Amino acid sequence: MTITSSSMSDRSTTPSMIQGALMSVAPLGRFLKELWRDKAGFTGFAFLVLLVLAALFAPLLAPHDPAAQSVLARLKPPIWMEGSVSGHLLGTDMLGRDILSRLLFGARSSLLVSVSVVALAGSFGVMAGLLAGYKGGLTDALIMRVVDVQVAFPGLLLTLLLVAVIGPSTATIIIVLTFSNWMIYTRVVRGIVMSLRQTPFVEAAEVVGCKSARIILKHILPNLISPLLTLAILEFTNIILAEAALSFLGLGVQPPATSWGLDVAGGKNYMMIAWWPITFPGLCIAMTVLSINLFANWLRVTTEPAEREKRYARGRAAKMRRAKKT
Amino acid sequence: MNALTRTAFRATLSRALLSSLFLSAAVPLYAAGLTIAIGSEPTTLDPQQRDDGAERAITDNIFETLLERTPDGVLIPGLAAEMPTQVDALTWEFKLKPDVSFTNGEPFNADAVVTSVLRIINPDYNSEQMAYLGTIESATKVDDLTVHITTKSPDPVLPARMYWMKMVPASYSADPEFGMKPIGTGPYEISGWERGESITLVRNDAYWGDVPEIDDVTYRFVSEPGTRLSGLMAGELDVIRNLYPEFAAAVPKAITAQGLETSTLVLSTANPVMQDPKVRKAMNLAIDRAALAEALFVGNAQPVKGQLVNPKSFGFNTSLPAYSYDPEQAKALIEEAGATGKKITLVGESGRWLKDRELIEAVGSYWSEIGLDVDIRIEEFGEYLNQLFDKNSRPDAIFVTNSDELLDADRPLTAALEFGASYASNVDEEMAAAIQAARSETDVEARAALYDEITQKAYDLDYLAPLLNQEDVYGLSERLNWTPRIDAKLLVKEMSVIE
Amino acid sequence: MGTFILRRSLQGFLVVLGVTIVVFVATRMIGDPAQVMLPLSATDAQRAAFEQQFGLDRPLDAQFISFVGDLMRFDFGESLWQRRAALEVVLEKLPKTLELIGVGLLLATVVGIPLGALAAVRPDGLFDRVVVGLSLTGLSVPQFWLGLLLIMVFAVGLGWVPTFGSGSLAHMILPAITLAVPSMARIMMLVRSSVINELNQQYVRTAKARGMPFGRVLFQHAMRNALVPVLTLVGWEVISAWAGYTVVVETVFAWPGLGFTAMKAINHSDLFLLQAIVFVVAVGIVLVNIGLDVLFKLIDPRIKEA
Repeated sequence: MTITSSSMSDRSTTPSMIQGALMSVAPLGRFLKELWRDKAGFTGFAFLVLLVLAALFAPLLAPHDPAAQSVLARLKPPIWMEGSVSGHLLGTDMLGRDILSRLLFGARSSLLVSVSVVALAGSFGVMAGLLAGYKGGLTDALIMRVVDVQVAFPGLLLTLLLVAVIGPSTATIIIVLTFSNWMIYTRVVRGIVMSLRQTPFVEAAEVVGCKSARIILKHILPNLISPLLTLAILEFTNIILAEAALSFLGLGVQPPATSWGLDVAGGKNYMMIAWWPITFPGLCIAMTVLSINLFANWLRVTTEPAEREKRYARGRAAKMRRAKKT
Repeated sequence: MNALTRTAFRATLSRALLSSLFLSAAVPLYAAGLTIAIGSEPTTLDPQQRDDGAERAITDNIFETLLERTPDGVLIPGLAAEMPTQVDALTWEFKLKPDVSFTNGEPFNADAVVTSVLRIINPDYNSEQMAYLGTIESATKVDDLTVHITTKSPDPVLPARMYWMKMVPASYSADPEFGMKPIGTGPYEISGWERGESITLVRNDAYWGDVPEIDDVTYRFVSEPGTRLSGLMAGELDVIRNLYPEFAAAVPKAITAQGLETSTLVLSTANPVMQDPKVRKAMNLAIDRAALAEALFVGNAQPVKGQLVNPKSFGFNTSLPAYSYDPEQAKALIEEAGATGKKITLVGESGRWLKDRELIEAVGSYWSEIGLDVDIRIEEFGEYLNQLFDKNSRPDAIFVTNSDELLDADRPLTAALEFGASYASNVDEEMAAAIQAARSETDVEARAALYDEITQKAYDLDYLAPLLNQEDVYGLSERLNWTPRIDAKLLVKEMSVIE
Repeated sequence: MGTFILRRSLQGFLVVLGVTIVVFVATRMIGDPAQVMLPLSATDAQRAAFEQQFGLDRPLDAQFISFVGDLMRFDFGESLWQRRAALEVVLEKLPKTLELIGVGLLLATVVGIPLGALAAVRPDGLFDRVVVGLSLTGLSVPQFWLGLLLIMVFAVGLGWVPTFGSGSLAHMILPAITLAVPSMARIMMLVRSSVINELNQQYVRTAKARGMPFGRVLFQHAMRNALVPVLTLVGWEVISAWAGYTVVVETVFAWPGLGFTAMKAINHSDLFLLQAIVFVVAVGIVLVNIGLDVLFKLIDPRIKEA
């Protein structure tokens, strides 16, 4: 770490041309440098980057068609075990499909569903929150009643019911999970907007006669970014787990599409003679969610001044304790 | 994981994680009786109401029928004293065993039989089993141990139907409690029903036949095959049905018996591509049934012998050969018919029958290999049923598994081949007439000849692409001694344990 | 307090009404129940008789009017699959689910609170890192997968506990652990951060400076102040488990509670049973919510009405 910081200070002495070039990559560099200090957060982030790449390039990376069956090569173990067949690194499932290829394509389902749901539920929820918080009065009362009522719905049961009614598919779970997850954004945004409206700069802007849209865009939205980012990332984990659970119950992603949850469900009837078809997809879900949690942890601490202070104080305290002992 | 490595695995893990606290929590379920897994909780134990395999698994031990079958499928007298005789074309006479009584003390006699018959055919009772019993007109008492059963039209299958119909007590069967606390003449009687969990039967010590060995039996409701398997491997269950064939080596003991189920594809003979017999012939030639039996069922299935009829059933045509596998000739036929690259739809479902989806997808890929453009549609079960029974528009091919409980060609052929009756996809009115004629032909020889004609024609014109006669695979605990039956009944009186 | 409860009840009524409408519309759109419920060999006449028997052939508005009327009398109709009153089935499964939630969340609380508090004593210390690591793992592992792994190791591999079903304490162990893990993780994290917060407060420093034993500071003062947010979280955990998150655990362990039954009802297209389950659960949520609100208001009268 000392090496990096010294090279940083060196940079001020480099010619301006190079400095300009470096400036353009600086935000990313600074971000990575700060992240590197939190090893867990960095590992999580690195895993997520790999995961996104794997999902994007799944067709190029996957050694086999994830749906291609081979009735003669069923339940073959991973390559390092006895009885494995070459070409199937992580073995095959009960239909003779290549597990590694299914994991790569399964990442697409997880990411597709979670990104779509977070984007849809997030935009809808944020808009409703802005409207409620900014307009106040009847609009606010109406929106928040709907939120309250829906928050008290029997969440997963109703989700199951809706999926069963509409018929399970990837599109269905995106719609249904959006339907049952937008409220939290509304609550958070409304809370922040309400408190921001009391602040002098928004009041001033209103007095000067700024248009609502301009106030929201210029003054309120920037203050929302950091809490919303943290919220969205945590929601991301919830959606990944929800998609996996729904697919596991047979109400999510449908074959021939692939999903980690679906693969665990398919493998569970065979788990007593073959551990690999359920172990690898389960590990993928757990590692993805863990990575997001680790990264979100770092992000939360980094973006909140109060948390940064606390972290600093704890670091100092630990140092002092160590100093006292010696 | 076989029994031996499992023991070793357990020992290793136990040593590593030994904890006296948890060891005491292990529940030895090997008590005086057996535990049998059934797929779902019966809604009633009234043996005449529903058409439900889980209910039958239990009531087969509580109730009895006039005729039974040997484990091999031969009809023999049960509660009847002898095989029935025909009085005239529409009337059958049954003599009853004397000195049999229900476990509540009611006698088993002609009144009980008449009540049983009239009860189940009563339209207000609305029994789901009428599909097996629809030809029965009435029953009359002749004397205390003689009954006449009459049919609407001549019905050669009547004896087999009386193997199906369970005998209920004359007066108690009207009690609203009957479905919860059933009373029969059989070797076991109900002792407890723990809702959502289990049903327990105990031995009927006053049973008229040989007293069975097992004291009591608990039926637990387990819908998931994986859960059943782990329960068997953990020693909590003694018998599980529908074991996945690949587990045969992993469970303490696995046995197979020739089953009643035959998987088939019902082919349309009217749709644009399908109306050419050459295409249908090619579709049959394209399927490697032996490979399917080996790969998907680990040998626990037999390629069909040219027909849907079960080899043990009446009406099985012994002269038909097994379908041959010849992808080259199939490809040539498809080209000859000008069907190369033509689209056909293959409709199926998933999860209802053993290995259904695997079979459907495998057949789909065989058909793709001979040049057809196969559109496999795995439908949700309700939608699948809609398409299966849609009389106006037939899919090019639809998958179904037929179970022949009565061991008679009538039901499977009516369902799959009689135009307009159920889910047949052909438009052959001549064949429909032949099936109807066979249904009421009482001369055994003439009836067998009719079925030979029907199955021969279906084979020649490839109305169906039957796949496999599936064997029933059972997983048993180490201690259980039992030979399965052709009719797949789980008769506890035929079981014993090795101490 | 009276008006507070009244307002909460009114809101609860809105929730129940909303759920009722959504459920009714939804269940009437599921594939033809007559086809799924009856055997393959059923005739058209049998199907028609079935629809008539259950009133499925009437127009939707007529079905809805009689539906609401029935609800007033707590009559949810007859379960198509079980062939008995849907309410009877629900009431029979209800204790099983409550038992599971009770034991699971008790476990989560009893383990989560002390571990979280102890971790807070020395933030970033070894014990704290272990606890945080465990929490993050617990939050990340999908429950259905965890349940399967537990079955493989402890039920089949070691034979210590039964693999499925209910009936004894031994049957309860694995499902309760599986249900508890994510809640336990959240409780640990919250207790940890609340206690860290409290320990940084002036009064704690004063108490420590005056020589009060650290154990007393931690458990008597810091913990007490951290109690309200922790209780809120436990309440939320109860509600979310109740709102359907036992479905997965119950399915994995074939635990015969409401969630398992709901999955069966879906598979059998059992409209009446499904709506009875969702309705009873919705009423339950409303009641638990009101109960918790009142409880917190009693504990801390400063709490504003959100």
